[in-house]
Amino acid sequence: MDSFSSPSLSPSGNPNPEAVMEQIKAQLAQAYAQEFLETVGKKCFEKCVTKPGSSLSGSESSCISRCVDRYIEATGIVSRALFSSQR
Amino acid sequence: MDASALNNPRLKALIEEERTKALANELVAKLTDVCWDKCITGSIGSSFSKSETSCLSNCAKRFAELKMLTMQKLTSSSR
Repeated sequence: MDSFSSPSLSPSGNPNPEAVMEQIKAQLAQAYAQEFLETVGKKCFEKCVTKPGSSLSGSESSCISRCVDRYIEATGIVSRALFSSQR
Repeated sequence: MDASALNNPRLKALIEEERTKALANELVAKLTDVCWDKCITGSIGSSFSKSETSCLSNCAKRFAELKMLTMQKLTSSSR
């Protein structure tokens, strides 16, 4: 992705803050999503695939599906515990 | 975009805001990682049990406390 092509610049050549921020936010979101995928994959593999076979069994697949949901739920619980309690 | 773009105060403020959000996201991610290992020890169900939910919540809060205590200790012992 070419970060330096014209949409980030206004006609006077000065950087357009909103356009720059859009790019920054998109890159942050992508990095965050990638990290999340890696973590969830690792956790759910540990939990659900105890004896790797030549393919994922039905119970392994549904375990993984539940596990992803649970991990997302866990993220919400942790987030609320940190940021919505007043001490 | 050359380096003088960073002198734009509005851009600086927006970047600082994103930085704060990113740090918060990182903290949540790390804590979820740690607290999942501590609290979700059994098999995976279609919902969390009450004890799993409160374990996750407590874990996050205790870890945040620990972080604060650690920082206090470090800053006080450096005097």
